[in-house]
Amino acid sequence: MSLAKASCGRSSTPQPRDLARAPWDSLASGARGTTVTWRMWRGDPSINAYVDRWVSPRVLQRYGINLNAVEGQGPEIVNQLQVEKEAGAGGTADLVWINGETFHQLRQADLLYGPWSGRLPHAAWVDSASPIISRDFEQDPAGYESPWGTVQFALIYDSARTPAPPRSYAELREWILAHPGRFTHDQAFAGITFLKQLMYALGGGVERFQGGFHEELYRTSSNRVWRWLEEVRPSLWRRGGSYPPGVAELHRLFANGEVDFTMSNNQNEVVTKVAQGIFPATARALLLGDGTIANAHFLGIPANAPNPAGAMVVADFLLSPEAQLEKARSTVWGDGTVLAVDRLPGPWARRFAELARDPRALSRDSLARYARPEVAPEYHERLARDWRSRIRRGGS
Amino acid sequence: MRWGLLAAALVASPVAAGVVYSAAAATGLAGFDPRGFSTDRLSRVLGEPAVWESLAWTVRTASLATLLASALAVLVAMTFRRGRGVDRLARTLAVLPLPVPHLVAATTAVLLLAQSGLLSRLGFAAGWLAGPADMPPLVYDRGGLGLVLTLTWKELPFLALVATTLLATRGAALEETARGLGAGPWDTFRLVTWPLLWRGLLPSIVAVFAFAAGSYEAAAMLAPSDPLALPLLTLERYTDPDLARRGDAFVLVLVGLMLTGAAVGLHEWVRYRTTELPG
Repeated sequence: MSLAKASCGRSSTPQPRDLARAPWDSLASGARGTTVTWRMWRGDPSINAYVDRWVSPRVLQRYGINLNAVEGQGPEIVNQLQVEKEAGAGGTADLVWINGETFHQLRQADLLYGPWSGRLPHAAWVDSASPIISRDFEQDPAGYESPWGTVQFALIYDSARTPAPPRSYAELREWILAHPGRFTHDQAFAGITFLKQLMYALGGGVERFQGGFHEELYRTSSNRVWRWLEEVRPSLWRRGGSYPPGVAELHRLFANGEVDFTMSNNQNEVVTKVAQGIFPATARALLLGDGTIANAHFLGIPANAPNPAGAMVVADFLLSPEAQLEKARSTVWGDGTVLAVDRLPGPWARRFAELARDPRALSRDSLARYARPEVAPEYHERLARDWRSRIRRGGS
Repeated sequence: MRWGLLAAALVASPVAAGVVYSAAAATGLAGFDPRGFSTDRLSRVLGEPAVWESLAWTVRTASLATLLASALAVLVAMTFRRGRGVDRLARTLAVLPLPVPHLVAATTAVLLLAQSGLLSRLGFAAGWLAGPADMPPLVYDRGGLGLVLTLTWKELPFLALVATTLLATRGAALEETARGLGAGPWDTFRLVTWPLLWRGLLPSIVAVFAFAAGSYEAAAMLAPSDPLALPLLTLERYTDPDLARRGDAFVLVLVGLMLTGAAVGLHEWVRYRTTELPG
């Protein structure tokens, strides 16, 4: 197997078969002096700063592990691992940042190592009662990925420019028709999530979409989405003939006043972007009353990882209350914790409760009230593909 | 000779490997789900109107940019070929963008040409525009004008450099000979300067076209979402959420290869046809 080949050069690294049995302490001490390569999305300076300047030095100091974060998100990770498997080559990544469709594809192609996440000492504090954390797009992580954070989708608007923003998809429709050229969505993940929520809203609520992919249901409700989009298309930015490639480009259009809304999969991104001076100070996050999608993101270990033991030690540190608290600060990243905060030992529970809250951030209560879970990844895949062929093509 | 051959093989081998792998992945012999040889994927992808629109759009923008850059390069080389200070200055200015990376050029283009860009803001300050929507779209525009302008600006220096060098090294002596034999200025240009320029420039023009048609960065930052430029469509398929569709990218790689292959073939044909004629 390629795994054995890859590990040849590192006799100090325990073999995966032993890893499942080895006590945690010996696993952790065996990982001392090794390097962990972490393939992750590197598109956000605040996330990079958290990883490179906060996590890395602590992991090196406490566990003697060199953490090396490199670029590579969802589809690239799948392609890379697939190519390595095809070539029978050793792996190049020990830890990958994934969720949803990427996890689905990696599991389908048998590219993940596991089960391992239950072995992490800090896993005991994970909020496994939360349906958002214990399920990944309705899939059971089954120990093949460890939760890292939670986020919730929000629209972003400028309260100075738009003092009375729409509060539901129905109101948004009216708003778009009344303000031609001032709204669009991107072609990538955030944009498709926006469309998926529209599908929930027009298709009778998220409950109807739970329990696996149903072709009939998809067809009828996606048709409503296309009809909705065709109706507003002439009033979209560029008359619905062109769409920004990703959410970063949409942010730019919003910041430069070409459109009045942008969106984010992270409810706190507005706070960090205002702090960075990218968005105006009057920018706010907005939850539509129809509900917005909340999901968790996870860490996986590739089946051909050269250093799975080191990857586990890093994943465990990332689950620690200390690392989760730092990540949750809106001045750092604003990523939601996956820990059951009320079950944490006294001082930690208090620190999470005391997290300095920015007035721009949405309240925990309204976030929870409007949170909707993800559904089977096929819905996301089909919406993305059909939007490309039905709506993107054929604009004016 | 033998070492030269080895070096050439080394340069060509990654390309050859890429072509062989793409062909295998396009016909079901490699990739995510190899199910044995079949032309299903080829015929399905080549049957999509979107693919042909993408190819046509890419050919049109790359040709336009190449044509504009070539015309400007010839103009610069002809106008400023003497040794005066102003000529030297003009030649220097024309090659100045040469070391600028394409990504930087594209970012600068967004900064300048976007509907909220510097030009738009100047227009607003001057009272010509009432808001971003009044600025004609040059970024993500269906015509690809922003992309054409950026590629033209970026490819002009290379072609201008080749054109000025051609005239400086070979042009002067030949033109002098022609004049010595009694040719007037128009005949000298028609029979000596022009053939020398276009024949000497043609390989570079083909290289510029191949680059413009295949380059990703500038298209990613400036091209519209419909039709999608061929490099963007290729990567989009390679990262499709549906694993079964990722293999489509290899068909598109072959399409792109055919396009540049055709450009090189056309060049060879023109060269073959014209070397027979007296020049």
